[in-house]
Amino acid sequence: MREFARTVQGSHRDEIDAAAIASAGLAADAVHLVRVLRDLERGTLHRMRNLLVTATHKDARVTAFLTSWAFEKFWIADALDAVLEAVGADTAALEGPRRRSPRERAERRGPVRRAIAGNFAGTQLVAAHVTTGLIDEWISQAAYRRLGEAASVLSDLVTRLLALKDRHIAFLSEDAERRLAANNRAVKLTRKAIAQAAWPIGATEIPDADRTFFETFVFGGTEGRTAAARIAERVAALPGLTSAHGDTVAARLAS
Amino acid sequence: MAFDIDRYTATSDAVAWGDLDFDTFDTDPLPESTLRTLRYMCDIEYHTVCYLRDLLTTPSHKEADVGAFMTMWNREEFWHGEALAAVLAKHDITVDFDQLKATRLKLGWKDRLDPIKQSIMGGLVGNDFVAVHMAWGAANEWSANAAYLRMAELEGHPVLAELLKRIARQETRHVAFYASQARDRLKDSKKAQKLARFALSRFWGPVGSGVQEESEVTHVMNHLFAGPDGRKLVRDVDSHIAKLPGLEGLTIVEDSLEKRGIAA
Repeated sequence: MREFARTVQGSHRDEIDAAAIASAGLAADAVHLVRVLRDLERGTLHRMRNLLVTATHKDARVTAFLTSWAFEKFWIADALDAVLEAVGADTAALEGPRRRSPRERAERRGPVRRAIAGNFAGTQLVAAHVTTGLIDEWISQAAYRRLGEAASVLSDLVTRLLALKDRHIAFLSEDAERRLAANNRAVKLTRKAIAQAAWPIGATEIPDADRTFFETFVFGGTEGRTAAARIAERVAALPGLTSAHGDTVAARLAS
Repeated sequence: MAFDIDRYTATSDAVAWGDLDFDTFDTDPLPESTLRTLRYMCDIEYHTVCYLRDLLTTPSHKEADVGAFMTMWNREEFWHGEALAAVLAKHDITVDFDQLKATRLKLGWKDRLDPIKQSIMGGLVGNDFVAVHMAWGAANEWSANAAYLRMAELEGHPVLAELLKRIARQETRHVAFYASQARDRLKDSKKAQKLARFALSRFWGPVGSGVQEESEVTHVMNHLFAGPDGRKLVRDVDSHIAKLPGLEGLTIVEDSLEKRGIAA
């Protein structure tokens, strides 16, 4: 953890060749994906709030991770802003009606209900938080890979960002596996979190039309379905989780 | 004066100590009472994330400037904790994440209800509640800044003094953010002024009180602020707070010394 904290990545702007991006241009779909990803990365503090109002805030090792993780995600959002600026695209946050699926009610809860539910769940809820965080990183890697395919001029940046996500995954997967292997209640709470989840994390804050675009563009095609299946396999391989949990995640990625 | 958030984020960094010769602590170790105060400061810096939680229950984190600041500030404070832990480690005092977790677990129900209370207050009071948080944060940062500079001066240890000055420099920027936010939000709302005055005069306590044992709070206050010079510093902090709109005449930091019987 301390090694990660010591080597966090700040601004990427010096590494971004804005002139090359401007002259190559970006297809409308690529711009759209960049905007969705930027808004998701910018939603990090909102995610942090949802974690910190529960017992997760007591775990100093996890909060130390979240501190560096939020810092890196701030600068990832800034890098995506730099891309949008380079092609003269709109940098405003996406706006529009949200999806109001009853299944996602738990994801839309405010801090009061989350804190109350968190108090009932107790300290093992951390396992659910790190596991859903891990799944979210896998999903975001798939999305960034898709971006690299859709816009080759961004391939250097995508490689950089995938490497950052690899480091987040290293922490989260080790932590999730340890917690899930050690405690039945941790498994139970994690299964429940997967049943209630909307992907990617923060999706409930993104307009419905943009979520549909994300689901179709990243996970809709043959390759997208393969990527979703890979994520399902990884979920199923976690201690205490089965292929049914993996399938639940995959089914929602392209819903 | 407006706070330049872009400049702040672009220059926000972990406090550096690799260039400082910590081996001088082997030949010139710090006295026990100083280590006790440093330990307190170290814990508090690590616990910043708990205070962040309270701020995040208000709608303010969705404002881009506030969100950007919170991200950087939380990380800078974490690194203050790491730097102070490195000094303590040179004196064979280990601060590890499990101990910090134990401290947080000990807080029990009060801590579990806090986010609920904070969110409900935020919901009832709305944006004016953000002003209270900002004024509270300014009071905390002003006193932290004074504490670090005072510690540097009292101890007279060149390596420790340099580290504490670096930390204090970052705290100065935190002060600038909180104070400018508090000023802007308070000046436009009489209700926010009343609320901030009420909250600070009734509930404010030195940073770390409520989390640390009261005996430790008293030790730190005594160590840093006892005597006429300490009292003068505390009055300076109070005078800054009292310049915020609607907070004229407040002496919350001095009151907290009086309450603990710290001699002037």
